[in-house]
Amino acid sequence: MLVELIFIALSLIALISALGMISFHQPINSVLSFIVTLLSIAGLFALLSSSFLFIVQIIVYAGAIMSLILFVIMFLNIKEKNIPNEPKKALWITGSLVAISPFTALLVKALQTLPQKEATIINGFGSIEAVGRELFSKWVLPFEMISILLLIALLGAIVLAKKEKSI
Amino acid sequence: MIFVTDYMILAVLLFSIGIVGVISRRNIVVLYMSIELMLNAINLIFVALSRQFEQVDTQVAALMIIAIAAAEAAVFLAVIVLLFRNRRSLDANVFRLLGQRETHKND
Repeated sequence: MLVELIFIALSLIALISALGMISFHQPINSVLSFIVTLLSIAGLFALLSSSFLFIVQIIVYAGAIMSLILFVIMFLNIKEKNIPNEPKKALWITGSLVAISPFTALLVKALQTLPQKEATIINGFGSIEAVGRELFSKWVLPFEMISILLLIALLGAIVLAKKEKSI
Repeated sequence: MIFVTDYMILAVLLFSIGIVGVISRRNIVVLYMSIELMLNAINLIFVALSRQFEQVDTQVAALMIIAIAAAEAAVFLAVIVLLFRNRRSLDANVFRLLGQRETHKND
């Protein structure tokens, strides 16, 4: 009973703050609203008994990535004239919601044909030990390639963002 | 009674909201966050599938997606800084130098 209440509350918070994220005018409001979405998705991970991904979602996504984008927005010193004014924003959002709804309904219908399984919490299922054993036995090569990818992304970010000499 | 499919339905709804954000907004920061929202919805589907079949593989795949999202965040934010430094705007309609011929006259 408690799990159902938590699920309904977290999913409502996630949906409402995601809608807020795409409809706020100021980018800083969108970022703060999106952080709420990420935290409620982390709570859903915990309800799906994957405690390691719950921690990673909070630390890496809501902590690192979102504070990076907050830092960039504050660093850019955005004024009102820099933000695009979108006079028909509400019309665009409702129109594309209506346009995308058949796709969503089709996917929901397809998902309902899956075998129904109750989402109870299993002890020690997605713990750090279980995920770590899987990661360092079957997924060693993707793990190393991810580290190379992160290095290349770091170099690319530095090369892109550095100030050019005046040409 | 909460089933695993309910989590996947929620993930599909979040993915659709992400698509709506990409279609309807012109602010590039909001575009970036809509893409991140879609990645998160896919993550939620992966974790729900891991719970459905009681295997840890898909949780490791979700971990890989989080790492790729971190790399993407670094590059995308560098591109946002570069674009803002050149044009002083966050409007996606401003960055269309390759798009149409008459924009050269406006510059």
